[in-house]
Amino acid sequence: MKKRHSPYLTHEVWQVIGGGLLLVAGIVTERLSAPSPAVLAVYLVALAVSGCTVWLDALRGILRRDLLDEKFLMTLASVGAFVIGSYAEGVAVMLFFLAGEYFEHQAVQRSRKSIRGLMDLRPDRAIRLSAGGEEEIDADDLTPGETVVIRPGDRVPVDCTVLDGTALIDAAALTGEAIPVEVSPGSTLASGTVCQNGRLIARVDHIADESAASRVLSLVEEANEAKSRQENFITRFARVYTPAVVLAAILLGVGVPLLLLATGNAPAWTDWLHRALTFLVVSCPCALVISVPLSFFGGIGGAASEGILFKGGNRMNALSHVKTVCCDKTGTLTEGKFEVRDVVVSGEIGRDELLSLAASAEHASTHPIAAAIRALAPDAPVPASVEERAGKGIVAEVEGRKVLVGTRKLLSDEGVFVPDGITGSVFVACDGRWIGCFTVGDALREESRETVERLRRLGVIRIGMLTGDVQENAQPISDALSLDFVRASLLPDGKYAAVEELIAEKQGDVLYVGDGINDAPVIALADIGVAMGGVGSDAAIEAADLVIMSDKLDRLPKAIRIARRTVSIARQNIVFALSVKLAILVLSAVGINTSMWLAVFADVGVAVLAILNAMRALRVKKL
Amino acid sequence: MKTKYSVAGLDCPNCAAKLEGMLAKTEGIASAKINFLSEKLTVESDLPSDQLLAAIQKTAQAFSAKVKIEEA
Repeated sequence: MKKRHSPYLTHEVWQVIGGGLLLVAGIVTERLSAPSPAVLAVYLVALAVSGCTVWLDALRGILRRDLLDEKFLMTLASVGAFVIGSYAEGVAVMLFFLAGEYFEHQAVQRSRKSIRGLMDLRPDRAIRLSAGGEEEIDADDLTPGETVVIRPGDRVPVDCTVLDGTALIDAAALTGEAIPVEVSPGSTLASGTVCQNGRLIARVDHIADESAASRVLSLVEEANEAKSRQENFITRFARVYTPAVVLAAILLGVGVPLLLLATGNAPAWTDWLHRALTFLVVSCPCALVISVPLSFFGGIGGAASEGILFKGGNRMNALSHVKTVCCDKTGTLTEGKFEVRDVVVSGEIGRDELLSLAASAEHASTHPIAAAIRALAPDAPVPASVEERAGKGIVAEVEGRKVLVGTRKLLSDEGVFVPDGITGSVFVACDGRWIGCFTVGDALREESRETVERLRRLGVIRIGMLTGDVQENAQPISDALSLDFVRASLLPDGKYAAVEELIAEKQGDVLYVGDGINDAPVIALADIGVAMGGVGSDAAIEAADLVIMSDKLDRLPKAIRIARRTVSIARQNIVFALSVKLAILVLSAVGINTSMWLAVFADVGVAVLAILNAMRALRVKKL
Repeated sequence: MKTKYSVAGLDCPNCAAKLEGMLAKTEGIASAKINFLSEKLTVESDLPSDQLLAAIQKTAQAFSAKVKIEEA
């Protein structure tokens, strides 16, 4: 799509060119001839050409009695320059102001465009499949229950469920997850993901506006409304900056000469007025105000392209100095799927036979540990009889043998002796003799270890686990990751209390990351609440400060790095813009800088540079 | 009722804040919020939509000639 050109900007360009040529003409005639009305006339036309639109806005300012309006102050500065005879400067002020606004506008437009480009998740078109065949329609016109066709290369138009076909789905734009996922009938598809190969027929689950891509977009858009500390500072600063500078200009231009006059010195009106006008030239806070929110806009947009949604700039502030991180275990640090880690065999029978007997006994059990054991011997025979002992395990008859699978207690209750020093979570006996045991655990996610290390390198002091699982299962995970604390057997209200305690210890900000399924209150309570796993649970997203679209914890250190860099870019811009402004003011006040040209040039230059710097916040890929 | 508009032609967040203030004081408008970077204006008002747009545009014109407000 071609960028729309507002007519104002075309005017602006012509005004700058015309005004610039006339300014040069004025300077040349001034050099060649003695001061004459002709020279003044050329300058006046130059001023009128470059200043007319600004004057109109200045007039509006006067009409609404806003005498601190930037257009009014700029007009005052240029007219003032004419009054003290610095014609060329008067024109230059207006010209540079206009050109500066133009460049600023272009820079901001480009930033907006790149951020929107990143967020371009929503497809406009969809192919609807109905009795009459396929037809291409507006994605907004799809209603739940309708059927859509998704071709290779298409973006999924709305959230839907696959009815037919298989394909690899690239969700990188939505979740930041680089590895494509295979989908088949029954799989759900989030809007904004891309079908890489294969043709899918799917049933519409949500209308476009309620689908994942739209929800992500509106979260990012709303994020700009929660202001960062830096933005609040600069807004407050801007409110006092202009009045202060204008007041200083009045003191310099009128106060000082009057004081000189009163003390019997020459008032030197022209010199002091000149200094005062230089003040007016840099009185607009725009340059200052523009780059800070833009940094956060860029940072939030960049993070979103990595599947990390910040709910506002203030959340970046908080995240950048988080000191305690607590994670849910299942599904966050671990896969949430149990697996057999270790098998101990007594020596009486072989490992395969042990597995087969245990798997048979667990044949029909719904316990997650049973599934893990069955996975190791899928061809195990069906048991003749099974008896479950609640909380202890199973007694089964397999091919004429009595098999016990369960806790150490189960075996001792049945009179089976287990040698001391044998450890495991599931014990197996056959015909009254202990034959072996398994250690069953929840598999650590492959990225958990590295994530924990990265968090430590980023200066997180305490990393711990809060889990509903029992201590025996939690401790090995905690040991494997060398966590600082682990609280097991917690019900949701127990997690709440644990986070409450951590906050009360006042050792820096506390972050809680969970999958949001039943921990929304904990997410809301934590200084920084993180909901993982996409835009699934409304309550969790509402409560969270940060939403991680994928279910990978490795996004968390990345989010911290993005937050830190964004905050640091915003700070750089504040320091840079403020110090340049201050330098101009000081140099002008003491009379070292006597050029309004230089002042306006520096003012515009700093704004453009700060905007370019702010755009660095957008580049987060390599962080 | 809240209505969203797109706003083009604002120079900086400071100008956006000024226009926001003026809109909030416009008769018939309960609240107004401008997001400078996403160029969105959200207005809360009970006026019928055509009257509301006219009122908004009138205020915008009193602020600056180059501000363009359209229905989003």
